[in-house]
Amino acid sequence: MKQRSRMRSFHLKALLAILVFCLIVSEAMAQSQLRFVTWRSEAAGVWEQLIADFETRHPGIQVVREIGPHSSTEFHDLVTQKLRNRDPEMDVFFMDVIWPGEFAAAGWASPLDEFFSAAQQKEFLSAPIEANRYRGRIYGVPLFVDAGMLYFRKDLLAKYRLAPPRTWPELVDQAKLILAQERDPYLTGYSAQFKQYEGLICNMMEFIMSNGASLWDEPNLKSTLDGDQAKQAVRFVRDQIIRAISHRGVLAYQEPESLALFTQGKALFHRNWPYAWEVANDPKQSKIAGQVSMMPLPSFPGHKSVAALGGWQLGVSRFSRNPRLAWQFVEYMTSREAQKQIALATGRGPARAALYHDTEVLAKHPHFSARYETFTLAAPRPRTPVYLPLSNIMQRYFSSAIAIPDSNIDQLAGLATRDMDRVLDLLRGRGAP
Amino acid sequence: MKASHEPNLRFLLPSVVFVAVFSLYPIIESFRLSYYRLILTLPWLGQKFIGWDNYYDLATDPVALQSLLTSMTFVAVTTPVEVLLGLGMALVLNESFRGRGWLRAVVLVPWAIPTVVSSQMWRFLFNDRYGLFNFVLFGDATDRYWAPLAEPGLALMSIMVADIWKSSSFAALIILAGLQVIPSEIYEAASIDGASPSQKFRHITLPLVKPALLLALLFRTIDAFKVFDLVFVMTQGGPADTTNVLQFYGYKKSFAEGMIGYGSTIAVAVFLVSLLLSIVYIRLLGTRLLGKEGGA
Repeated sequence: MKQRSRMRSFHLKALLAILVFCLIVSEAMAQSQLRFVTWRSEAAGVWEQLIADFETRHPGIQVVREIGPHSSTEFHDLVTQKLRNRDPEMDVFFMDVIWPGEFAAAGWASPLDEFFSAAQQKEFLSAPIEANRYRGRIYGVPLFVDAGMLYFRKDLLAKYRLAPPRTWPELVDQAKLILAQERDPYLTGYSAQFKQYEGLICNMMEFIMSNGASLWDEPNLKSTLDGDQAKQAVRFVRDQIIRAISHRGVLAYQEPESLALFTQGKALFHRNWPYAWEVANDPKQSKIAGQVSMMPLPSFPGHKSVAALGGWQLGVSRFSRNPRLAWQFVEYMTSREAQKQIALATGRGPARAALYHDTEVLAKHPHFSARYETFTLAAPRPRTPVYLPLSNIMQRYFSSAIAIPDSNIDQLAGLATRDMDRVLDLLRGRGAP
Repeated sequence: MKASHEPNLRFLLPSVVFVAVFSLYPIIESFRLSYYRLILTLPWLGQKFIGWDNYYDLATDPVALQSLLTSMTFVAVTTPVEVLLGLGMALVLNESFRGRGWLRAVVLVPWAIPTVVSSQMWRFLFNDRYGLFNFVLFGDATDRYWAPLAEPGLALMSIMVADIWKSSSFAALIILAGLQVIPSEIYEAASIDGASPSQKFRHITLPLVKPALLLALLFRTIDAFKVFDLVFVMTQGGPADTTNVLQFYGYKKSFAEGMIGYGSTIAVAVFLVSLLLSIVYIRLLGTRLLGKEGGA
């Protein structure tokens, strides 16, 4: 009896000792660890190599990668969960181009001005740098940049002796003509992202802004969606794009589904981000490799073409235990060398301007020089800490307006404007963003 | 008397603590937060007590009312269908035939697959171009293909189909348990009296399995009212907001938009509706179940 109780107390002590040991070890490891929350890159090998290089340059430092979901919305859930809980484990994280305003206002992302000088910022494309600025300070370093592009089947356009469309009505006319002549029930005129989600904002914003309108008036904090030109663009999407040349399925498409339709040779025109170029021209994944062309998106007659700016940044958590080391990691991953390697491997547009004139990059991706113009002109979605509430209101409006064939666009736009103004009112009395 | 009760209470303590920490505390906290305006992305606004304002906003928010209606429609359609299908399955599984053990296991598969996985599967089935659904219905006639998840009139129905596929077997499981406790002597006696199978079903099976039916109905109603994962994976609330059920709307407010106060108000509303439903059912169920037991 007595022996057993002695045994038990010995076990307890041993257990306690192990626990304490584990605690000390994990604490010590946390000091020399850098946790990086990211999603899985198409070029995972390049990332691994870059991280290994960083580790050799900083002996004793271990970079731990935590892979999150690829979808922007779900990745946002993961990262904000950690930030809300002030999780000191996470040091560096991926940021979608629409988050810096929110993360800065909430006090989640560290301002990086002391590390990231104005001269250094000049080496990057200006649109993504602007997207990372909030109330005069910078909160992220652009990693790669995206912008909406128009892809099309150059073989089909050539067959009917058509020049690539410069305006939206021209695109619709060409699609109608080719659809009527080809008589292929599988073929659709225009495939893009019209599901009720963030991508819908990018697509609709490109139509609205290329008709000379905007989503909202940033300095005056007023929605502008009930303006005539904005409503005209929405009506065009419903009547000319969805009803006349697409099929209803696009109303449920995100990027992968819409691209799959195009790469299967079942779509004439396709709107997507630059990554689609590599996929569409890869004979292993695409039936139309070599028959694809790419150009800036059309506009409405008399207005300028607009591409929504997308892309990803690296941010440093305000709760990181080791912000200086975290910065060194960010600096390394966004260095010219690292960006070049990523660009060579993935075909995603690098955020550093010089790489668009780099001979090695251009040899691998000759189309980069044509993309440069689109990237410099790309329009960021407005920066605000209430971006997501506004986005949800707009998603509801756009989806209702285009998915219901006889939707009352005037009324829906009025409702959306009222709801957006209520949200924007929360920002009043705080000066311009 | 007292001595025999005290240790019982002590044994209850762990589960009481568990419930208090993981159920009671979040509920109370949600109630508390629902009286505040707290927006995570606007920290300078602080956490301000605003009384019933959030509740007033909720009652006048057309999107919230619409999503409540969507949730109710979802419950009203899926639960009766699931319980009826479950009853049918349970009756079959209660018969003795070769391979019954296998079939019982197979029937449970839809319920055992994680919902996120099966939702993804249904999303593929309903894909307008490559989905099996269209191929089975129309074969090669692609011009007649439907886009169930893209049509405002069909999207909610598609989610209902997925939910019925998934949850009917859960109803069957509960009802099967109810069927198994019916003593076989009653059926034997009825056979001797010359009762037909349909008479046996109406006068023996149905009355005796009623408590199990109600229980299945209760579980399914509350679960269906809180449907979230199917919507999250299949439609994200679209198209035209037609699948934006109340629970998903609350999630978007709290977690995507950071409107913790208003999101908590929606959570409280979901909680109160579920509570109300439970009370109604437990009343119904309690009198039937306990009444029988009391009499025995």
